Amino acid sequence: MRDRMLRRRRFLRAGLAAAIIGPGILGRSRAATAGAEEDAVVRVAKKAKPAELNGMIWSLYYRNMQRLAEEFRSLTGIGVRNIQDISIFQIPQRAMAEALARSPEFDFFHVDSNMIPSLASAGLLEPLDEYMAETGYRLDMVGNFASFMRYRGKTYGIPTDGNVHIQYIRKDYFENPDEQKAFADKHGRPLTWPRTWEEHQQIVEFFHRPERGLIGSGSLRNRANGVTWWYMYFYSAGGFPFTDELEPALATGAGEYAVDVYLNLKKASHPEAPNWGTPQMIPQIVGGHVFSAQYWDGTCRQIESDPKSATRGKFLYGLVPGSTRSGRLVHRSISSPLAAVLVNRHSPRKRQAAYLALYWGTLRNSTEIVSHPEWTFHDPWHTGHFQSPEVEQRYTRAGLEAIKRNLLVTTPPIYLTGHLEFQDALAKHLSEAYIGQLAPREVLTRTEEEWRRLVAKIGKRKLKEELASYKAAFPRVDVPS
Amino acid sequence: MSRRRAPGGLFRWVVLTPFVALLAFIAPVFLLQLYVSLHSWTVYLTTWWDAEFVGFDMFREVLTDPRFGWAILRSLVFAGLSTAGCFVVGFGLALLMAPSFRGHGVFYTLFLLPMLTVPIVIAYTFEMLLYQKGPVNGILSALLGTDVTVMWLADPRIAVLTTVLLEVWNWTPFVFIILLAGLAGLPRELEEAAASLGASRWRIFLEVKLPLLRPVIVLALVLRFLEALGEFPKTWALFQGGPGTATETIPVYLYLTTWHYFHVSKGAAMSYVVMVLVVGLVLLALRVLRRETRALDRMDGGPGGAR
Repeated sequence: MRDRMLRRRRFLRAGLAAAIIGPGILGRSRAATAGAEEDAVVRVAKKAKPAELNGMIWSLYYRNMQRLAEEFRSLTGIGVRNIQDISIFQIPQRAMAEALARSPEFDFFHVDSNMIPSLASAGLLEPLDEYMAETGYRLDMVGNFASFMRYRGKTYGIPTDGNVHIQYIRKDYFENPDEQKAFADKHGRPLTWPRTWEEHQQIVEFFHRPERGLIGSGSLRNRANGVTWWYMYFYSAGGFPFTDELEPALATGAGEYAVDVYLNLKKASHPEAPNWGTPQMIPQIVGGHVFSAQYWDGTCRQIESDPKSATRGKFLYGLVPGSTRSGRLVHRSISSPLAAVLVNRHSPRKRQAAYLALYWGTLRNSTEIVSHPEWTFHDPWHTGHFQSPEVEQRYTRAGLEAIKRNLLVTTPPIYLTGHLEFQDALAKHLSEAYIGQLAPREVLTRTEEEWRRLVAKIGKRKLKEELASYKAAFPRVDVPS
Repeated sequence: MSRRRAPGGLFRWVVLTPFVALLAFIAPVFLLQLYVSLHSWTVYLTTWWDAEFVGFDMFREVLTDPRFGWAILRSLVFAGLSTAGCFVVGFGLALLMAPSFRGHGVFYTLFLLPMLTVPIVIAYTFEMLLYQKGPVNGILSALLGTDVTVMWLADPRIAVLTTVLLEVWNWTPFVFIILLAGLAGLPRELEEAAASLGASRWRIFLEVKLPLLRPVIVLALVLRFLEALGEFPKTWALFQGGPGTATETIPVYLYLTTWHYFHVSKGAAMSYVVMVLVVGLVLLALRVLRRETRALDRMDGGPGGAR
């Protein structure tokens, strides 16, 4: 009897213990499975000294990353103390000032990855390959996208935001049978998803109804951003801005084609487009005043997840148009700016900063960043994001599919040292042509003149060495499946 | 015989010390800038101490750069128009506010407010007001009874006017304060004497007040003009030099050259050229000011004048 009671007591005790410890053990094993990547980073980071880091990052980006930074501090003793909160568009200048001073003050910069060649040339950036190897971290990005983080064979950035242009078209107009019939009657062809820039032009002109508050195209044409669109036209027409000898190659058939596409869209654009940037255009798109645009993918999330959105469910998302100018259909999207964490080589805490960057870049953590309930500029980039229900909830399945397809054919702007100046010369001339200050053909010849001077200043040899990194960032497919 | 210090020797040192201190404070900056402008330093290519010595090549590059020439021209047009605007409005307000009346202090404070507003805030606030379908065109449409669709921010010809108007709104109070102080300092006797001789108010204004105010007016115009040459925050926040290159003034181009293109040497050479231009303008202005003061002295019975 006593034995039975003992057995029963032992059985109950064991049961109680199992009830208490069990979920913990199960939870830990689940966490270990889901967080193996994070565990590896934490394990290595723990070997480094605890540190409080200083970073340069825009608060609109940082707010989704802050919780993870605090978590990393509790796990490793490496945290973030100070943040200099400035716009991502001003960080290149501030980062260059740090390079100039060789200052160890900032440990990391959150900046457009297209600045990697210039900042690396200035001696500011720490290559991250060693830290990645140490922690077993792998940049698992869609298509060829990981090349955007590399320069001359080394990895310099961990992305947090996979900005890519996707095609937006208003579903309610596009699928309206009356509109489809009217379009077919006018153009003698059915209204279908635009495969080429010419088809796109025809469609946006058809739907351009400013008198009814609907603008055909919401693509930007201001001096700061308009050039981003030009690259898509140029690359898809088979253009590449330099020969292998670093001779500018803009005044070509592809260049002229791209300028024509750029300027033609004026017929279906808002009259204030010459000075409209994102703060003006996004409300127009989300508010339902734009029929179509190639635009950054984050707008899809705003349309579908923002409670104030007037267009939820009213947009179709897909691949940006392409061009058959080169003899075959080629689609090229664009990724600029592409926000990434870069580490300061001069910082005594660079090791710790690199580990934190890797921690932000793991699948689990980057999923949290891009699917955070608060809308920010972080958009999907990791292959795992495209299977994540949390990310899908924010972007919709159709949105995610569109992002993935465009990432497969995305390209960088001028990915060379001197990126900002190369780009601004082109942007300035495009902007002048758009408002009639410059003849269209002069856009290319004048830009070429300025580029030649800049190539001479930077040095042909140096730029030739960089050309391989630029070319490596190009997609391997013309039409994504 | 003991050596005695020359009279005024101590005074001379008291005056010279701050000057020498100021020079010691300023000179290193100018010398460093001179060093940089004589070398070819682009931040991402080399360090400043390793930069190649190029003599006056940078100055030659700047002086043959048509973009720089256009930037100077735009700056001069902008500064000229905005200074004229500030003067017309500021002088009008000063004349209105010269006599004392009830509520004077309230109006005075209100008129000063634009000057106390941060330029970047002005830029963003006006950006919202100036859209084609924004409140400014809305109010103008209601007032004029016709649909006003001015593109204040997107039309390159009007963009320049927009920057001028914003500058006038922002800095009229500066001219207003100076001229109001000038008006308050005018001797009442001359005005009263002219009135007793039967001169009309308009004639008193034209022939008594205005001549007496001329040095103050010149001072206000010169200070405002020089300040307007350096206007950057509003122009950059609203236009970044666009549309096209319509608003690419000297400060915008300097900023682009130094902090977008990272050509610090070219930026330094440009700064020197601009400095020479400004010094030239200041010397010219001082000459005009001195001439005005002398003329006033003569009128007022100063040296050569009849009291």
